Amino acid sequence: MSNNKATDPAQVFGEWVTNWERAVNSFSNKLMETDDFSRAVNSVQNTQLQMQKVFAEMMAKQLANLNMPSRNDVLDLVEAMHALENRFEKMEMQLKKISGAMEAGTKTKAKGPARTKKAPADAKK
Amino acid sequence: MSSEQIDSSSIRDKVDRMINRTVQRSVKGLDFIRSRKEPVGLTPKDLIYERGTLRLYHYHSNADEVYRIPLIIVMATTNKSYLFDLLPGQSMVEYLLNKGFDVYMIDWNDPVQQERHLGLADYTQDFIPSCIEKVQESCGEEQVSILGYCMGGVLSTIYAATHSDGPLSNLVCLTTPVNWHEMGLFSRWNDERYFDVDKLVDTVGIIPGDFIASGFDMLRPAQKLASRIRVWDNMWNDDYVQSYRAFDRWGSETVPLAGEYFRDTTKELMWKNKLHRGELEVAGKSANLANITIPIMHTIAEHDHIVPVAASRPLLELVSSEDKEELVLKGGHVSLIAGPNAVKRMWPNVSHWLAKRSV
Repeated sequence: MSNNKATDPAQVFGEWVTNWERAVNSFSNKLMETDDFSRAVNSVQNTQLQMQKVFAEMMAKQLANLNMPSRNDVLDLVEAMHALENRFEKMEMQLKKISGAMEAGTKTKAKGPARTKKAPADAKK
Repeated sequence: MSSEQIDSSSIRDKVDRMINRTVQRSVKGLDFIRSRKEPVGLTPKDLIYERGTLRLYHYHSNADEVYRIPLIIVMATTNKSYLFDLLPGQSMVEYLLNKGFDVYMIDWNDPVQQERHLGLADYTQDFIPSCIEKVQESCGEEQVSILGYCMGGVLSTIYAATHSDGPLSNLVCLTTPVNWHEMGLFSRWNDERYFDVDKLVDTVGIIPGDFIASGFDMLRPAQKLASRIRVWDNMWNDDYVQSYRAFDRWGSETVPLAGEYFRDTTKELMWKNKLHRGELEVAGKSANLANITIPIMHTIAEHDHIVPVAASRPLLELVSSEDKEELVLKGGHVSLIAGPNAVKRMWPNVSHWLAKRSV
């Protein structure tokens, strides 16, 4: 049996891939769990974010000089619209609640299959 | 028949098989490269509620009779919900529908910049309660069961802990992190000495999906390449290739996160470990897990590299429920939901546990 496995190239290749994957993952995980790795990665990320922030500020100034709205101005408008949508949604929900309560205190059951299914006989609590 | 004859026929069979598979790899490999995304999430459903990043679906029941209490699945906030409905025959949703459950799904759209202020409180005190109201309206039942996966499980437990007198009857959590100091490499990378979460959130607003996906990929750097080699090796096997493409699509469609939600998660859960310590407050309410008294089931994956067992295991120790059950299964974070072991063990166990509590 073991001879069959050893002579099956597909199986040998599959095992080699699995072992290679485990070895790389294990080595990388050991490297990445060090303080040095966390410090280095976060340092690079902080630098990128700083550059992104400076660039965004410069762009906003240029747009203001051209008398054009910045991304933040547009986002503020979208946010105002979003707040209005949320208020409408809440009002709609309140109205539905009120109209539901007016229906003689009983809820109308939605159409669909009967909700009467019993638990299987072998299912004991 | 002599042993020499057996050996030569066996070798001939192997050579034939190798040639056959090599030809198939070449032919099907071209199809693989040219083909479009694998169609996923095919079980019929209606979108019954949508608000920004939030989506609530109702799956079409194919049974004459369903259990009284509906089931709401709360998807992890970083991924698309079709993991639960990957392919026909590889779909937990399809399985639950066939078993007679009325299934709803809370799914997440990519949040847009104006949603960057959404925090844990919005997800647990607004989105989940609003969806429960919609489900109650839709089916006419007061009580609901919730099944939460990963961060969906965290949101569900926080909801349950802050609404102990609410309509929630049963809670099923799948690989839900509770002790965030045991989150392995994520804990190391997000070390508060080096990771400036405020700078990140204040600069980008929305945490990009690529950023999140690269974090997951870095946990197992060789996995992607090894999977591609394996799919080439199995190119002759249509089922293998279809399943690979569906999982690959799912893995590549990571959902971005609202910045404030990411900040809350990092500071309150990852750094201060408040959920584990029972000190978490959301919108002024205590989210102590000890407030949970309803029946609860927790399914854990033994080889989960994203949420290690040590991070998820404390959940049942911390809740006050008398009716609680833990199920530890072989498999990883994703295969737990849609892998071969899910089909054989996870789905039947969850269905069985819920069935007797959903009448």
